[in-house]
Amino acid sequence: MSTRKVVLEVKGLSVQLQREEGPAAQILSDVALTLAQDEVIGIIGESGSGKTVLSRALVNWVRAPLRVTSGSLLYRGRDLFRLPESEMQRLRGREIAYIGSDPGSALDPTLPVGNQIVEKLCAINPSLTKSEATAQALRVLDAVRIPSPKQRFHEFPFQFSGGMMQRAMIVDALVTNPAFLVADNITQPLDVTVAAQILRLLRELQRDFNTAIIFVSSALGVVNEIADSVLVLASGKVVEEQPVRSLVAAPEHDYTRQLIRDVPRIWSDGGASGPVSAEPAGERETVLSVRDVAKFYEVRDRRRLFGRRTVQAVRGVTFDAYKGENLGIVGESGCGKSTLSRLLSHLEAPDRGQILFKGQDIAHMSSKQILALRHRFQLLLQDPYNAIPPHLNIGRTIAEALLVHGGLRRKEIDERVRSTMAEVGLPAEIHDSLPVGLSAGQRQRVNIARAMVLDPELLILDETLSALDQVEQGKLLALFERLQVRRGITYVYITHDLSMVRRVCNRIAVMYLGRIVELATNEATFFNPSHPYTRALLSAVPVIEERPYKAETYLLEGEPPDPIDIPPGCTFRTRCPFAFDRCAAEDPILLRRGPADFAACHLGDEAAAREGRSLPRVFESTR
Amino acid sequence: MASDLTIGAARPARKRSMGLGAGMLVQAWRTAEFKVGLVVFIGLMLISIFGPDLLGLSATRFDVAARFLPPMPLDGSRWPHLLGTDQLGRDLFVRSFIGLRNALVIGVTSVIGMFLVGSLVGMVAGYWSGWVSLVLMRLTDAQMSIPVIILAITILGVSRPTPASIILVLILAGWPAYARFARSATLSERRREYVKGAQILGAMDPRILFVHIAPNILPPIAFVAILDVARMMIFEAIFGFIGIGVQPPTPTFGTIIADGMKYLINAWWITTIPGLLLAISLCSINLMGGALERARNKRLQGVG
Repeated sequence: MSTRKVVLEVKGLSVQLQREEGPAAQILSDVALTLAQDEVIGIIGESGSGKTVLSRALVNWVRAPLRVTSGSLLYRGRDLFRLPESEMQRLRGREIAYIGSDPGSALDPTLPVGNQIVEKLCAINPSLTKSEATAQALRVLDAVRIPSPKQRFHEFPFQFSGGMMQRAMIVDALVTNPAFLVADNITQPLDVTVAAQILRLLRELQRDFNTAIIFVSSALGVVNEIADSVLVLASGKVVEEQPVRSLVAAPEHDYTRQLIRDVPRIWSDGGASGPVSAEPAGERETVLSVRDVAKFYEVRDRRRLFGRRTVQAVRGVTFDAYKGENLGIVGESGCGKSTLSRLLSHLEAPDRGQILFKGQDIAHMSSKQILALRHRFQLLLQDPYNAIPPHLNIGRTIAEALLVHGGLRRKEIDERVRSTMAEVGLPAEIHDSLPVGLSAGQRQRVNIARAMVLDPELLILDETLSALDQVEQGKLLALFERLQVRRGITYVYITHDLSMVRRVCNRIAVMYLGRIVELATNEATFFNPSHPYTRALLSAVPVIEERPYKAETYLLEGEPPDPIDIPPGCTFRTRCPFAFDRCAAEDPILLRRGPADFAACHLGDEAAAREGRSLPRVFESTR
Repeated sequence: MASDLTIGAARPARKRSMGLGAGMLVQAWRTAEFKVGLVVFIGLMLISIFGPDLLGLSATRFDVAARFLPPMPLDGSRWPHLLGTDQLGRDLFVRSFIGLRNALVIGVTSVIGMFLVGSLVGMVAGYWSGWVSLVLMRLTDAQMSIPVIILAITILGVSRPTPASIILVLILAGWPAYARFARSATLSERRREYVKGAQILGAMDPRILFVHIAPNILPPIAFVAILDVARMMIFEAIFGFIGIGVQPPTPTFGTIIADGMKYLINAWWITTIPGLLLAISLCSINLMGGALERARNKRLQGVG
């Protein structure tokens, strides 16, 4: 270890938040770390533990009201905090690179992506001619496996998907061959398979470019994939530093132990992590029945003057949700999850098919009936920051639900609001305050209270918990469970988070390009999935355990096809590692694979079995 | 020091019990510019309401012996003509403050009118897209294509200009800008998650528009409207200046300034004093408007 050259050494770094009034708050205290050449250090911590401030401080980018109070930041022996600003400016971008979590706002929307990279190259090395810079940018774009880089070079950021943009940001950061790179939560906004691709890419590039990386993340599973050693940050202090393997195996500090215990397990500890009310057997009342629902959107075709093209957002989805169960709908972004949630909550009407709530077709209801129905049937939105109105106080926001439905006196409304607030765990003091100071978790509780005050029977959760950190997520899941026991609510979880689905859902539907490709029980989905896409998702989940589905066998390349030009045959075949000739010709339908398991794949049906084609078996018997 | 501590301790409790509006006022009151603006504005209002009667002077009575008297501390000035007299010996103090009163009434009423009309049209056009929006916005465009002065000359030129008709002209000329602004704000606000949230709760469209969207988009527009009061007062003066404003003998800023123009070299105060009054009152209004806007932003961001 000592032979490796040290790139960055941080000693006793402390950062304070200077408030306008009151004492300064300590954000970081006495952080020390040493980063050697081509080493990857992961930094994990809950939200609010000072991760982002630390990652900014590491590139000497601390701005008021934050202030570095003590410590030194030695980059190759020079203290960056004592460098003049012009010198720092020269280092940043050339030798020190930073990638943030929001690629969308980091790129200039008015310039083609390629130009932005070339511009940076030319700024850093003025002797470079334009064509040389272009060639170099194209080379790196190719290195991060952006398909057809020549064409992509001239496209604008809005034409890039989130994963592509993050790749472009990586290009932007690595193009100057920096000595070290700070990656602040870069996989957070991405889908699991895309995030896994990015991680794999970063690992490869790190080898090729010899860049030292500081990888900041809130998920231990992600850090586990990439880092050599891990720093655990808790309320601004480093509580533990260990190589990643031994950290997971033998955490020393109590906080780390707690953190590792809280990381959801998918395969280990057997069924213990499965849902408590896992009893889907027997004939149960169907609360929600979705029958062959489809939704198309017309969009302008920009290549022709009056051309219109159809986006097939949801292409025939069928499922039932039974009373008191938790149904999970998982899939990556663009698979039609959100459209489905809008259809289910009747914000939009489907173009085809029926949605039955307790046997009644929603489409044929009067607006009065629908209003009555909304009492029993609520959707929780994803974004806790925008979903509650900023100008109303909390009590009024929750009361709004009852005011809309009417029929109650002021006093009754007030009582119900206060009791619901207590039920979801909101302190009574915030009843009259504006939502501005609330944390994401509290905001989401306001959101939940607003739905709960109506006493619904069915709750659809559209990525409701994905903006929250692990601990807060756990608390809210426990809350949902309590409410379910008390009120017999049915939940439909629409999410991309597989470990959460594993924990709470009885049955899981996997969506790909507007269709359900597999609908199975929790056990079958995770231990014997019959669709290669499910396996690909499982191979990409960030976990800290040994995964049965290896990335080498299942991980996908590229991104889902455009929902405008859906390929004929099986829609998944363009990315499927097991595709064969029948897949191009025939579109598979959902077929029964087990007692309650369905999958839409040619592999596993009788004809394929005769040809000797099947998915590899991983677990000998379904447990 | 002790008072600082008590304020600090009392604030959280008070904050909790206040709505956005009251909190905003308290927040604004803490700034110096709001206090200055308010004191100046109230002072001007009081003088313009009670001043003329207190001095016992008429705004229209000629006094040829007292022509071109300069304002008070200057040589040759005479009590009770505080701000001097004009070319016909009428007291400038009384005339200016009556002019200010008229200008304020016209400015404030017309801005309120155009704010209401424009915001309503804009919000409706922004919320219901399709032909409703199309018709309303083309109407707005048509209205916008006619310059204010042309409109004023056409309407006020053929009828006798009264304060009411001037207000009407100003509203007619001013609402399209508000409609445009309100529409674009509504368009972007309509896509926000909380609107979707309200829909999920089952709220009807008018409720969403007026209970949820309006309180979020109207205050910023209202703050711009406060600046428009100043603009409308200037327009009123312009109308008076070109002779289609409130007709003599009622004094207005425009007519006083227009008449005084001829004597600018010998009696500069005839034009300067109404001009100064206009500037001071506009300043005080803008100070208050700016302070209120900053206070609201602070409240919504949770800083104050």
